[in-house]
Amino acid sequence: MTQGIGHLDPGTLNAFIDGELPAGELQEAQRHLNGCHSCALRVLSATQLKAATAHAGHRFSPTAETLARLTAQLHSRSETQKTARSYSIGSMSIGRMSIGPMAWAALAAAVLLVVSFLGWRQIHQTNTLAAELVDQHLATLASGATPQVISTDRHTVKPWFQGRLPFSFNLPDAVALPPDTSLRGADLTYFNGEPAALLLFSIHKHQVSVFLTQRVNDPILTALPSTHEGFTIESATTRELCILAVSDVNPADLDLLVASLVRAQSNS
Amino acid sequence: MPSTATQSASFEELALPLLVSLYNHAFWLARNRAEAEDIVQETLSKALRAFDSFQASTNFKAWIFCILRNTFLTSRTGIAASRTVFLEDYASAFEIVAADPSPEEIVIRLDDQETLQAALDQLQPLLREALLLCDVEEIKYKDIAAILGVPIGTVMSRISRARHALRQHLILQHGKSQ
Repeated sequence: MTQGIGHLDPGTLNAFIDGELPAGELQEAQRHLNGCHSCALRVLSATQLKAATAHAGHRFSPTAETLARLTAQLHSRSETQKTARSYSIGSMSIGRMSIGPMAWAALAAAVLLVVSFLGWRQIHQTNTLAAELVDQHLATLASGATPQVISTDRHTVKPWFQGRLPFSFNLPDAVALPPDTSLRGADLTYFNGEPAALLLFSIHKHQVSVFLTQRVNDPILTALPSTHEGFTIESATTRELCILAVSDVNPADLDLLVASLVRAQSNS
Repeated sequence: MPSTATQSASFEELALPLLVSLYNHAFWLARNRAEAEDIVQETLSKALRAFDSFQASTNFKAWIFCILRNTFLTSRTGIAASRTVFLEDYASAFEIVAADPSPEEIVIRLDDQETLQAALDQLQPLLREALLLCDVEEIKYKDIAAILGVPIGTVMSRISRARHALRQHLILQHGKSQ
């Protein structure tokens, strides 16, 4: 906690001004500061710098128009979500009521509305995720976009993710890949708010992005459209993983690559 | 599920007071007005979709800042930035430890906002990000660690080095102005 002739070390000083010292260390630091003019000056100086940084850091304010747009977006999306919930709650509570014959038509209409809305919402969500996939694939195609790990060797690419992802996966050996298909490298990325392994392959002269994420009980991920903006999207799941591939290559070739990745997961 | 307190509060009620902070932080990350707005919009969209999974015991501000950071990392600017490796994170063996400030350093002038802004601009992005989350957003070390996806010791080290670098820059500028 202290350095040299017993003064507060920089780590303790920072934790002190940030209010992060545990109770015991805080009391000890306060006792020291009561009798050490030098450290008291350091704390004062550090506190002033912290306050000045806080002031200078509030530098970029949204314009009135930007703030209005963001507020409107927040309000409209929240309202949409609330509407979806109220429809769901309404449809559940109906089951507990005594329903007369006259109510059946209204019930049918409500159920139809809920089903339609949920269907629309699923389509909307899947389109958003498909757009996110394609956006990330396009980013890998940009000139100068170099993968974080560049290797055709699965024994180099797979270990690179150790400690970077909360899950592991297998990669097929080069001979187990479909013809004229090769691994180029990999990136760590985020998809649908989750960490993901982005594997970069080439099939003939086409680039392929494969996203591996932990499998969650989210049917949206496996219900993505098969194409988006001209790109083919293939998805598959294993016991642990969700595999999503996007490319402009022939769909049959993309399917073969995904199948080889699925097989590799069972070869642990 | 959101906590009892937050269940009663809607997503909108929790997120609305943070719009300005989210935008400010997004701007510091992207350094572009249009991109900052896009990042905040995308963050709100993702956070609302995931709000049901928001953990009761966690901090909403830290949670949504984490989403903001992930959204930035998958933006074009973020992907480009992530390819830059800052050696300081791997330099513990030869790292310059923030030493005691001298009497001269203690009296550095902090009323010169322009110089302080320039010093913040020149900080390495990883150091600046940790410092802004701590000093501007007043987020606790453990939550900053969760947002940045690094151990708490790394957060403390980055904040310490950021302050040391700021101080050095200010001293240098103060010396030049005399």
